[in-house]
Amino acid sequence: MKELLLRLEPVIWLLFGQGIMIGTMLLTAWLAVVGVGIPLGIVSADALTYERAFSLGSTLIGRLVLFALVALPLWKGAHHMRHASLDLGGLERDPIVAPLLYGVAALGSLLALVAVIRL
Amino acid sequence: MARPAHPHAMAPSVPGRTRTAPPQLPPQFPLSGRYLPYTLFGATGILYLLAGLVALRVVWALGSGPAAWQSTQQQLAHPLYVLFHALTLAAVIFVGVRFFRLFPKAQPAKIGPAKPPPAPVLTAMLYGAWIAVSGGLALVLAGGIF
Repeated sequence: MKELLLRLEPVIWLLFGQGIMIGTMLLTAWLAVVGVGIPLGIVSADALTYERAFSLGSTLIGRLVLFALVALPLWKGAHHMRHASLDLGGLERDPIVAPLLYGVAALGSLLALVAVIRL
Repeated sequence: MARPAHPHAMAPSVPGRTRTAPPQLPPQFPLSGRYLPYTLFGATGILYLLAGLVALRVVWALGSGPAAWQSTQQQLAHPLYVLFHALTLAAVIFVGVRFFRLFPKAQPAKIGPAKPPPAPVLTAMLYGAWIAVSGGLALVLAGGIF
């Protein structure tokens, strides 16, 4: 497992970097509107009726944006949490922590792919 | 055709005796002085991971039909969800500001004949892209355009 993680490290760092760069850009608007604005009534709930959300999300660009919105923050989160764990707890727990976190990110990315294909 | 190097290709067959002192954590680590923003930066990982999972749930509900979508929207209005999303929004802005400030400093001086743009230009480009993407997506989501 350690060797596999070493071999995958360039890919994981790439996904982590894109998670910070693109994930941050996408999450800002998503959280501001869907997470805070609509629930607090700052933005009208009519903006994201099912019909409108589906028509936006089911386009090719909509699917790509939604996939990136889910998958990239997962990789950013997993990699950052792994390194926080290394900083705070050392190498001893890494053989469990790293596969667990990257496994969640990989499974979440796979489910995100399925979710956007279903649209 | 060249193969990728084995990760341990350069490692000695027998590890040599270390002559360095064992590593020690600085007394300020992890929550004092300059380590505080570093630790907080790492801690944003859990919020990104959870935000990604919540977004997955929302996208999944969109593919499951109007009833599932409506139910998910109602759940997102729960105060705990709103609090989580507000905290995550603050974390995302913190990460963006810290990372986009760091990014120009982390660029190589040259890649072949090409040089990166000056740091202020790079910073302006990153912030410009962030504002453009966030503003555009927020307008789309809020029904301002399309």
